[in-house]
Amino acid sequence: MLTSSSRRRVVITGYGMVTPLGKNTEDTFEKASQGKSGIDYLSRFDTSGLPCRIGGEVNDQWLEKEEDEKSLRLLAFSSRGLRLMAKATREAAGQAGLDHVVKRERIGCVLGFHGDNPSVEDLVLLHRYYDGKGWDSRGLLSLEGYSHLNFLRRKPDVGGAILSRLFRCAGPALSIASACAAGSQAIGESFRIIRDGRADVMIAGGCDSQLNFVGFVGFVLIKALAEKYSTPQKASRPFDRKRSGFVMSEGAGAVILEDLEHARSRGIPILGEVLGYGVSADAYRITDTHPKGLGAVLAMRGAIEDASLSSADIDYINAHGTSTAQNDPTETTAIKEVFGERAREIPVSSNKSMLGHTIGAAGAIEAILTLVGMNRSIILPTINYEFPDPKCDLDYVPNEARRKKHGRALSNSFGFGGQNACLCIGRYDDRDDGPSLCLDSHAP
Amino acid sequence: MMTETTDLLFAWTAMPHDRVVITGAGIVCSLGNSLPSVWDAIISGSSGIRPVDGFDARGFDCSVAAQVRDLQQSLGVDPRETRIMKTHSSMLMKATRDAFFASGLDGAQIPRESIAFFAGMGMVDYSVDDLLPAVMKSLDGRGTIDYAAFYAEGYREIHPLWPLSMLNNISFCQVAIDLDIQGENTVLSPHADSGAQAVSEAMKSVEDGKCIAALAAGVSETITPFSLARGHLSGILNRSAGSAEDCVKPFDANRKGTVLGEGCGVVVIEKASTAEKRGIIPLAVITGYGSACEAEAHLPGPTVKALGASMKKALSRAEIGPSDIDLIISHGEGTPKGDGNEIEAIHEVFSQSPERVHVFSSKAAVGHLLAAAPLVDLVLGISILGYGIIPMTLNTRNPDPAIRFSLVTGEPRRCDIRRILINCQSTEGQAASLVIESTSR
Repeated sequence: MLTSSSRRRVVITGYGMVTPLGKNTEDTFEKASQGKSGIDYLSRFDTSGLPCRIGGEVNDQWLEKEEDEKSLRLLAFSSRGLRLMAKATREAAGQAGLDHVVKRERIGCVLGFHGDNPSVEDLVLLHRYYDGKGWDSRGLLSLEGYSHLNFLRRKPDVGGAILSRLFRCAGPALSIASACAAGSQAIGESFRIIRDGRADVMIAGGCDSQLNFVGFVGFVLIKALAEKYSTPQKASRPFDRKRSGFVMSEGAGAVILEDLEHARSRGIPILGEVLGYGVSADAYRITDTHPKGLGAVLAMRGAIEDASLSSADIDYINAHGTSTAQNDPTETTAIKEVFGERAREIPVSSNKSMLGHTIGAAGAIEAILTLVGMNRSIILPTINYEFPDPKCDLDYVPNEARRKKHGRALSNSFGFGGQNACLCIGRYDDRDDGPSLCLDSHAP
Repeated sequence: MMTETTDLLFAWTAMPHDRVVITGAGIVCSLGNSLPSVWDAIISGSSGIRPVDGFDARGFDCSVAAQVRDLQQSLGVDPRETRIMKTHSSMLMKATRDAFFASGLDGAQIPRESIAFFAGMGMVDYSVDDLLPAVMKSLDGRGTIDYAAFYAEGYREIHPLWPLSMLNNISFCQVAIDLDIQGENTVLSPHADSGAQAVSEAMKSVEDGKCIAALAAGVSETITPFSLARGHLSGILNRSAGSAEDCVKPFDANRKGTVLGEGCGVVVIEKASTAEKRGIIPLAVITGYGSACEAEAHLPGPTVKALGASMKKALSRAEIGPSDIDLIISHGEGTPKGDGNEIEAIHEVFSQSPERVHVFSSKAAVGHLLAAAPLVDLVLGISILGYGIIPMTLNTRNPDPAIRFSLVTGEPRRCDIRRILINCQSTEGQAASLVIESTSR
């Protein structure tokens, strides 16, 4: 086994996002630190008759201005989710000066992405060629209206391939499709690829836009969405007793990960460090999380161990915190299992209270917000926390952001079906002997 | 249990050059639902390619495929669970169970969180049948949809668990639940090389001590109208009608394209020291992995350069040279360009004496299995090492005159095989290679 001193250190040299709350990282963080919500009634499709009619949509005006012709042409092969990703990646790549990296074969790309949903319009068209038993394939193939691009839009790997093309990456490329853990796993896998020396720089992140009828109805049918809310802004209430489900959002988050020496040699500012990655499976039930959060415990312990740290070194936890009946107490139980007596002293907050759940993008967006918070000594709040739940009894940073110096954090992402990922992220410390070891984490 | 783990951890650190071995294998494809039945069929020269079953595919230029048969019934899974299980889920369940039990993981003293699981998953399509009743119920008199009716009532016709059937990771999670596998995991999506990437992830996880044993799986997509349409659009299918069994001719001068298949391969990987400690006899040593990506200017497939680089990387990681390889299980999909590029790349890498190396392709027997192809070939490779018999490449009667390597055709060839190189490629331009070795030194 490699010891931490001989391992390559993996730092973050760029990040970008587009969320219901803001057009970029700065905008999103700023509004989140004011405790604002990005959730509203859905406007892009008709939701009348559905028990949940709210979500977090990204403002279209944020997208169109910056898109050039070449990217629009490529993006025609994919979906809205990827458009958001291209925008987030442009922000990250600009910050990291990715264009100036010469060896393109040493730049890789891992994307958490699920492809597009079929649309109701497609189904209407398709049903004319289907009699319940067989297909009129010739009729269908000669049909002008059903674009062959639909086949590509549905394929998860097309997203990563287009992103690689747009940003000229010729290194390792992976596509990850593990539901709500995808964005986090993409960063974790990229971290390992650099640590193992398989690439010097990686674009990593996730994107999702299921805010269309078929995607949305899917989640309505499995009864995962919040159906009881006074106003849309109040619907996502992680850890609160009156939570009733998650609020679905769209968005994208991208980070540029880089080998420390590589980043130093090109003199680019270093924004933070990925210290560890843990991943596990619940192996419990498809529709339920393990009641004791066993998978979550394994993922958090895995990330801490991978970072060669102990639980005492963790100053903050960016929770998965979906606002569902199941996740929030389970995650609380898991945190107590990992941190023991200290659990109550560690601030735990959920960005989903403001952003909603961006599914495959959530892990990436939340990892970035965690890092920005560390760099500015601000812990983002869990908003809509009004009625304490006896089963959720940690410090959830209720309703208002907190000013506090903190140096190392965990960011949790647990996927539907039971795939769990946890990233350990740290403020960058330029000492040569490994990850930062001493920061005044108990300062007020 | 804890002491056992500590002992095993000690074993890793004590042996830095401990080899990584395969201790269990499972396979499902059109030729059979277990390793013995598949091996018997492949040695006897059977092909699983037939006219498409399950829907009317006559409208497609290529209306044949190598589909699996009678699988779900044999699994004994609760019918409530099978509602969301399509063929790809059943294949993954069966092959993973076989590999898991074959390597004795069920009775092993290994904590469940130390068993990792990586899979390359083929495309998971939605089934129009699942959504159609909702659409039908919402049609007005003129055959167009009444959105008000659809939004208000129609959508309730959709089965509540329908969303699960099209989430890419659900079948993977079902298997993890079935076998209680709690360790590291990732679902890699549908490039045809993603199975090989799952193997490399599993190897790395074992080597780095992130787990004690790791499963690597590759599973193809379920054959549906969508998958056939995708195959046609990708330009790899044989569009000229012919007899089902005879339509894929790998490396033949008259090759015209490939045929899609359904299948799944799974292996269990662990350190030799772990296997020894558990009293499990390894089936093979896995020593090399390589990949490279460069697409042909006009897809499909990788360039000769990428194919060559992938083989060279795998050989160099295995610390051997081309002359150490006895057999290449080639990608050999039966397309003019794909096979042509692979022939050129093999000649380049094996330039010293290409005639020494045997080459075999399974595609004419089991079809192109996309994400599952490298894993199915890996499992066949394990059997080839064990039996010392190379199955024949079916249907190739007039080998491409450019070929200078020793293509196995006509009948199985019995010979001493020590090391096998396995190639795979995706239409998107990825090439990947694996190297396995016999356990006897």
